[in-house]
Amino acid sequence: MRVRLVYRQEGPARFISHLDVMRAFERAARRAELPLAYSQGFNPRPKLVFAAPLPVGTSGCREYVDLELEGDLAPEEVLDRLCRNLPGGLVPFGARSAVGPPLMSLVRRACYLAAGDLPRGFSAGHLEEGIARFLARREIAAERKTAKGIRRKDIRPGIHRLKAQSDGDRLKLTMKLEAGSARNVRPDEVVRALGVDLELDAESFNVLRTAVLSREGVLLWDL
Amino acid sequence: MTSLERILSRVERPARYVGGEFNAVVKDWDKTPVRIAFAFPDVYEVGMSHLGLHILYHVVNSREDALMERVFAPWTDMEREMRREGLSLFSLESHRSLADFDVLAFTLQYELSYTNVLNMLDLAGLPTAAHDRRAGMPLVVAGGPCAFNPEPLAPFLDAVFLGEGEEGLHDLVEVVKKHGRTRSSRAELLRALAGIPGVYVPCLYRAEYASDGTLAGVRPVVSGIPERVRKRVVQDLDQAAYPTKPIVPYLEAVHDRAMLEVFRGCTRGCRFCQAGAIYRPVREKNPGILLAQAAELLKNTGYDELSLTSLSTTDYSRIGELVGALVDRHQGEQVNVSLPSLRVDAFAVELARAVQAVRKSGLTFAPEAGSQRLRDVINKQVTDEDLLQAVGAAFAAGWHRVKLYFMLGLPTETLDDIAGIARLARRVLERGRECGVARGRLNVTVSTSSFVPKPHTPFQWEAQTPLPELRERQAFLQGALRGKNLVYRGHEPETSFLEAVFARGDRRLGAVLTRALELGCRMDGWRECFRFDLWQRAFSETGLDPGAYANRTYRYTDVLPWDHLDTGVDREYLAAEHQRALTGETTPDCRGQECAGCGLCPGLAVEPRVLEAGGGAG
Repeated sequence: MRVRLVYRQEGPARFISHLDVMRAFERAARRAELPLAYSQGFNPRPKLVFAAPLPVGTSGCREYVDLELEGDLAPEEVLDRLCRNLPGGLVPFGARSAVGPPLMSLVRRACYLAAGDLPRGFSAGHLEEGIARFLARREIAAERKTAKGIRRKDIRPGIHRLKAQSDGDRLKLTMKLEAGSARNVRPDEVVRALGVDLELDAESFNVLRTAVLSREGVLLWDL
Repeated sequence: MTSLERILSRVERPARYVGGEFNAVVKDWDKTPVRIAFAFPDVYEVGMSHLGLHILYHVVNSREDALMERVFAPWTDMEREMRREGLSLFSLESHRSLADFDVLAFTLQYELSYTNVLNMLDLAGLPTAAHDRRAGMPLVVAGGPCAFNPEPLAPFLDAVFLGEGEEGLHDLVEVVKKHGRTRSSRAELLRALAGIPGVYVPCLYRAEYASDGTLAGVRPVVSGIPERVRKRVVQDLDQAAYPTKPIVPYLEAVHDRAMLEVFRGCTRGCRFCQAGAIYRPVREKNPGILLAQAAELLKNTGYDELSLTSLSTTDYSRIGELVGALVDRHQGEQVNVSLPSLRVDAFAVELARAVQAVRKSGLTFAPEAGSQRLRDVINKQVTDEDLLQAVGAAFAAGWHRVKLYFMLGLPTETLDDIAGIARLARRVLERGRECGVARGRLNVTVSTSSFVPKPHTPFQWEAQTPLPELRERQAFLQGALRGKNLVYRGHEPETSFLEAVFARGDRRLGAVLTRALELGCRMDGWRECFRFDLWQRAFSETGLDPGAYANRTYRYTDVLPWDHLDTGVDREYLAAEHQRALTGETTPDCRGQECAGCGLCPGLAVEPRVLEAGGGAG
C-alpha cells in the first residue's frame, strides 16, 4: 500500500539538501520499523517518492512524500511512528492512503512566501510600480549552477504570480512559480532578480514554501 | 534573520553548521554545571566518522551534571564569512560560542590538523597561547593518538589526556566541577588537573635544552606531579560505556554507517604502527555483548550498514561466528555487515565474500612492503603467497579491482625492495588473468604513502627519508609500474614530511605553528589547501630547520621529546625491537602463547583479553 505523508521542514532542517532529507526519511522509516517496500536489483532502495525538492535554505510547511509499504498499516500508525523517529526539523502532521501516478509527476506549481528587509523610504506605490515593471519584462535572466557549470535561464515564463506587501520595514512577497518541470523556477532566483531591480537585500529574505500544486492548481493532498 | 542564517546561504553544505541531527543531545545549559565542547579539528564529515567522538559524547552526556556539545573546523568558505561577520565559532547543539564552555576537548588524530586547533581557538576569540588565557576562559584539553607527543602544541594546551577516555573523562569532569565554577585561580585548577592519572599539564613541565640545542629533558617544575605521565586504559571493554544511540548525521559522513568496536588494541606488533603500540593491550569483547550492541545500534540509528571497526577486525578470535550471527539476525532488515580492513589472507576474503552481497567496490590489502626481507624488518608477517591466495580468492569471488597499499622510505629500504612492489603487483595482475577476470575490467592499483617514524614505536629513533629521495623513489616506482591494468597512486611526500616534523617535534615548533597560521596555513590535510611554500616560509622565519626533526636519527641515549609520556611499553623493549628489525628478525603475535615482553601488562596492571575460538555466539 502507499501512504502519503504531509510534513513541515523547518528550523535548522531547512539547510539540509534534498538528498539528505531523503536519507533522513529512509533512516527514520527503518528506525520506526515500517514495512517499507524495496526496489529490485543489486542495490535495493526503499520506495520513497517525494513531491518536489526544497531548495537548500527554504522551509516548507506542506511538503509531501509517498511511502510504499509491504502489507497494510493504518496511515495514522505510520504517522505516529515516523513522528517519533524523525529529527527535530522534519515534522509530519498528516497521513492518508494514496493511489494514482507517482507523486512527483503531478507537481506543476509551488507557492512561496518570502520575507525580508524593505529599504528605507520605499513607499507602497513605489513597490507596486517596481513589481509591475519587473513582471512586464520580456525576459528575466537567472544564473543557475549545474554540474556542467553556470547556465543562464529565462525565469519569466515560470513566474505565474508575484505580489508584494510592505509592513513597516519588512517586505513580504508571495509567489506562485512553475515547479516539477524543465521550466521550474526557484524562489531565491526571483528574489535575487527582483533584488537587482528594486535594490533589495536579497540575502535578508527567509523563504517558506506554502503549497505544492498540480497542473490544475489542486493541492497534492487532495488528489 | 540572524547573521548565522545570512552566512549559511553563502556557504557550501550549510548542514555542517546547524546541528539538529537525530540523537543529538541538547541539554539545559543553565542547569548543567560542567559544559564541555568536543572539538574536532577537521570538517564535520570527517569528525562525525570518528568513533571516539561518539563514545565521549555518550560518556559525558550520560552524566546529569555535565553536557558535551560538538564543534568542527569550519571549511575555508565558512571561516571567511564568519570572520567577515564577526561571528564567534559556536557549538552545533546550543549554537553558543566556544568561549562560553568550561572545557574545549580537542582530539588530535593527525599532525596536519594542528593549525586548525589554533585557528578554532582564534575563531572563538580566545588567545591561542595557554598563558594568555585568563580565569573564566575555557580550559583547552587535548587527547587522541597525537597527544602521545603533544609537545609542538604544548604552548597552546592547558592539559593533555593520555590514553582511553571512557573512565578518565569522569575524573576531569569532577575536577572542573569542583574548581571550575569558582574560576578563582586558574593555576590551582591546572595543578588539580595534573593530579589526575593520565593527565599531563604542559606548563607544569619545563623543557631544557643542551648547549648544542638538543633537548635535555622535560621535567616537572612543581613537586607532587609525576615525572612521567602514564596513559589511562580501560580494563574491561565489555563493561565500558558504548554509544548505542550515536548521532545520525544528515550529511553523508566519510564513514556513514553504524560502528561496532569489536575489540581494542592489536597484537600484531608491526614496528611502524603507533596505534598498535598506544592501544595495547588487546581486549576482545564478548560476542553476546557485541550482538546486543549491534541490534541496539541498528534500531537506534536506522543505518543499513554495520561496520566492525577495530585495528585488524578479522583477527577477532570469534570473527566467523560473530559475522555469521550478525548476518543471520539482520539480513532480513536489509543490513550489510562490512569489514573496514582486510587481513592479507584467503580467510579474510572468504569472510568478506560471505557478508558482502554486492561487490560494490574493490578490495584493499596492505602488504606495506614489496619484499619479504623488508616485511620482516617491519614485522608485517605476510608472505607473497598469502597475498596471492587472498587476491586469488577475491578474483574467484567476483571482485575485479584490487588495491594494494605500501609504504615508501621504510628503514633499510633499497631500490630492489621498491622494484619488489612492482613485481608483486604484476603477479597479482597475473593471478587475476588466471582467474579469468576480463581484461577490460581487471585493475590493480598500487597506492603508496611515505613512511613517517612515529613516537612510541620501535622506529621512533629512525630518520625519515629526505624529501628529494622520497620523490625519486616515487618516480622510480611509477616507472616500474607502467602497464596495462596497472594504476599507481603516490601520496605527496611533502605532507608526510610535515607529519614527521610534528610527530617527532618538541615545544619549539609552537612558534612555527603560530607563524604558519598567520601566513594562512589551515586544513593542511586537504590537498586543495596545503601550501608547502608557506610552511617553508614559516620555518625559515622562525629560524627552525624542519629537517632537523624529520630527518634526524636519534641515538638510544638521546632524550626524545615524548620520553616523559608513558604508553606502558618499555623503552628497552622498543630498542630491542628496533635492533631485531635491523637484523630482519620477526617477533611473534602476542595473541599466541608467547609474550614478547613489551612490559605493558605488568606495568599497567592490565591483561590482554583474547577469547577462545569457537563456541556459540551469545
